[in-house]
Amino acid sequence: MTVSNRNAGRGESTSSLPIEMCSVRVGEMLLGLPIRQILEIVGSARPQPVPLAPGFVGGLIHYRGDVLTTVSLRHLLGMPSSERPQPALVLEGASGCYGVLVDAVGEVMAVSPQAWEPIPPTLDQSRKQIFTGAYKLHDSLLVIVDPAQLDPQHLSAADAACTGGAYARADCR
Amino acid sequence: MDDLTREFLIESGEGLDRMERCLTDLEKSPGDAALIAEIFRSVHTIKGTTGFLGYKRLEKLAHVGENLLGLLRDRKIRADAPVVTALLRLLDALRSILRSIEATETEGEGDDAALIGELAELQQAPQESAVAAPSDSALSRSKKARSHSPRSTAKPSTRGSAASSAPPPIEPSGAAQSPSSPPAVAPVAPEEPKSAAASLAAAESTLRVDIALLNRMMNLVGELVLTRNQVLQATAAVPGLTLLTRRLDMITADLREAVMKARMQPVSNVFSKVPRLVRDLCQSLGKRVRLDVEGQETELDKSLLEAIKDPLTHAVRNALDHGIELPDVRVAAAKDPEGTLKLRAVPEGSHVIIEVSDDGAGISVDRVREKAIERGLISAERAAQQPERDLLQLIFLPGFSTASAITKVSGRGVGMDVVRTNVERIGGKVELDSRPGKGTTLRLRIPLTLAIIPALIVRSVGQSFALPQVALSELVHIPAQKSASAIEWIEDAPLYRLRGNLLPLVFLDRILSPVAVPCRRDARESYIAVLDADGRRYGLVVEGLADPEEIVVKPLNAALKGIALYSGATVLGSGNLALILDPGAVALRAGIALSTDENDAAASAPVATSSHRENEYLLVDIAGRRAAVSLGNVLRIEQIPASRVEYVGDRPVLNCQDRILSLADTAGLIAAADPGSQIVIVVCCDGERQVGFVVSHVLDVAAGSDLCEAGTSRRTLGAVLLKDSVTGVVDLAQFHHLALSGMDNADAAPVEVFS
Repeated sequence: MTVSNRNAGRGESTSSLPIEMCSVRVGEMLLGLPIRQILEIVGSARPQPVPLAPGFVGGLIHYRGDVLTTVSLRHLLGMPSSERPQPALVLEGASGCYGVLVDAVGEVMAVSPQAWEPIPPTLDQSRKQIFTGAYKLHDSLLVIVDPAQLDPQHLSAADAACTGGAYARADCR
Repeated sequence: MDDLTREFLIESGEGLDRMERCLTDLEKSPGDAALIAEIFRSVHTIKGTTGFLGYKRLEKLAHVGENLLGLLRDRKIRADAPVVTALLRLLDALRSILRSIEATETEGEGDDAALIGELAELQQAPQESAVAAPSDSALSRSKKARSHSPRSTAKPSTRGSAASSAPPPIEPSGAAQSPSSPPAVAPVAPEEPKSAAASLAAAESTLRVDIALLNRMMNLVGELVLTRNQVLQATAAVPGLTLLTRRLDMITADLREAVMKARMQPVSNVFSKVPRLVRDLCQSLGKRVRLDVEGQETELDKSLLEAIKDPLTHAVRNALDHGIELPDVRVAAAKDPEGTLKLRAVPEGSHVIIEVSDDGAGISVDRVREKAIERGLISAERAAQQPERDLLQLIFLPGFSTASAITKVSGRGVGMDVVRTNVERIGGKVELDSRPGKGTTLRLRIPLTLAIIPALIVRSVGQSFALPQVALSELVHIPAQKSASAIEWIEDAPLYRLRGNLLPLVFLDRILSPVAVPCRRDARESYIAVLDADGRRYGLVVEGLADPEEIVVKPLNAALKGIALYSGATVLGSGNLALILDPGAVALRAGIALSTDENDAAASAPVATSSHRENEYLLVDIAGRRAAVSLGNVLRIEQIPASRVEYVGDRPVLNCQDRILSLADTAGLIAAADPGSQIVIVVCCDGERQVGFVVSHVLDVAAGSDLCEAGTSRRTLGAVLLKDSVTGVVDLAQFHHLALSGMDNADAAPVEVFS
């Protein structure tokens, strides 16, 4: 019971039923996103770069007649950008859909809430914002990413806050 | 908000729009029974529905209005001006309550007693109506109860409440004692089913569709077009599929057209607001105006229709306020005392032209010129040279519209920049035509649709960008071998000489790179797109051009709005994405200044910001030699006919606004020019004194730093590095002295040029 309470505080499911996570790979890391928040997976997109865009923007992709802004998970995790075409997860944020670029999309894993652990306090502050916790798998850890933290609008607001409002200035031209 | 309320709001809003139209018509033909019936229906529907939705303020107002309309319908009173005015006020009151319901779901605070009193008083006016009134209101009550029945069959209780809430407001009209008598109902009965049938037919043939759904359909069609393009490419080599793909092609095109058509609405939706506006303005201004409306059925995209509402209101207000004269003035000018305001919508290719023309006094060009000079928007010399048509365009400048003095003396001006800004924002254009004494025509050129715009696809930094065609005025190709000579540089600022005028250039790749890159002066093939955006004119240098395309504009995520260079993105026919550049934003980023004198960089130079004057020089050519004058000393540049030069002794002078301006002509240019030709004079000041400095051409304005090289020559104070060559600077004090003393001009050149 203590586990599910802790989960509730983290915004995860409170039931003890298995939770379905979409596993993705970014560099060497195995990450998970709640499958229910993913609208679609677009295979090997070649994002169109946006000159002068904030660093986290991975470019634009074409998705069902719309132009989606993508967020590069590699950039958020401080890895060099990938040269190869990357698959994109389409998520729905507060202000519309956006894409998240990853290196590879793996299988959907059903994880039990009992296997959940909070992220260790030793982790870097930038990681703590993105990761909510981890599920213990047989031989590895599935680190869970908080989709709300990937919304480009959220990221640009955070960016503006730490760069002293550089974008805000650009806004009020 | 529940569905019932929303539907009520939409229906009532439409009813009130109809009522407004009918009321303005009614004033012209007061006896028109059909119009009164239509107005009656609108008010009646509101009253009926409010009963069971429980909006007491609305119901009370509608009720008293209905009583008055009942008298009108029965011809107990006439629809004269006070009655129509009162009904229009009722309409405004109803509308504001509806708006309040929409916003807050309550009727809002407000006291309607005055309006109710006024409406009630109008009912009292005819003495003979005292008997008729009771039966009339009773009639309307019974009619209301009946009209409820189809709507509220499922809710018997609400019908009860509506009926029970109806009687109290009847009392003030003096109808308390009247029961609904069957004979009174009978005459109205046949009218009811007819109107019901009419509205039913309309309901069957039309459908309300959510805009979001239409937008989604538009998106899907765009997607289909792309898929079709890919299918066409993939199957080009397969002979068996040609017929099928051709059909797919045709159907896709038809579908796209149909979906676009679904978003179109007739301009009458906006024009219908004008009669009321004209009527109100006429009353408050004491003018008489006849409104002619043409081309109401012309269709425009819904979002564009919304966007032209404000400009149109401004234009009509201007035409009435400043254009059309008062009746007695018109009679004195041998015109019909009644002015005419013409509203016209004409489709023209991919645009719709909306014309607002009046037969008023027109705009006095002289007054515009006077005011523009007074406000410092244009120099007197410049104003004298400009054609009248160009001068008229000055009224669109922001500085012009705010001055109340201008609107009083010169006619138009209020909000004209608002008109232009709004129309240009949606990719349209505004033109103005005015003939003094005959009238003024304002022409708004509106694109048919916003969702799809023609754009030129350009290439830079290895990707494609879309440039809206509306801002593009021309394209210049610069071959690789010519690029070094075609593009000129003042320090880091590139310029291109376009038909003799200097055009500031902006390198797209430099704008788009996050870090400052050194100026690229290597020989590469490039293209200059000459752009005109929000009054800023510049050339955008790109590496390549692709075909122009009709692009579907897609919005960008808010996270990218901070860049402010892109107005959206689009999917190209090839399936690739392209960002849509905002020419105005690019100009801003590059620091291109707003120029009132569009093509003439040299003429606008003297009014350059003073902070830069220290280091800026006017570069001139005197009979083949280059010389520089410190820009801070330059007052103006004049082009005058050589015949205007007069002589005092052997000293050339110019009579300039009753002042003698000494001319310094060191190269004998005046003598060389034939009397009919033009000479260019740079008027400089040195302290209090002025001197005109005759030059062959004004070349440029350039920034340079003083080299402080002392003692170069008798007449040069110093030299500066301008455009990669050391150029002598004219020492004005010396020069002035020379001119005054009337020394032999041929003695020496005024400047030395070191290269």
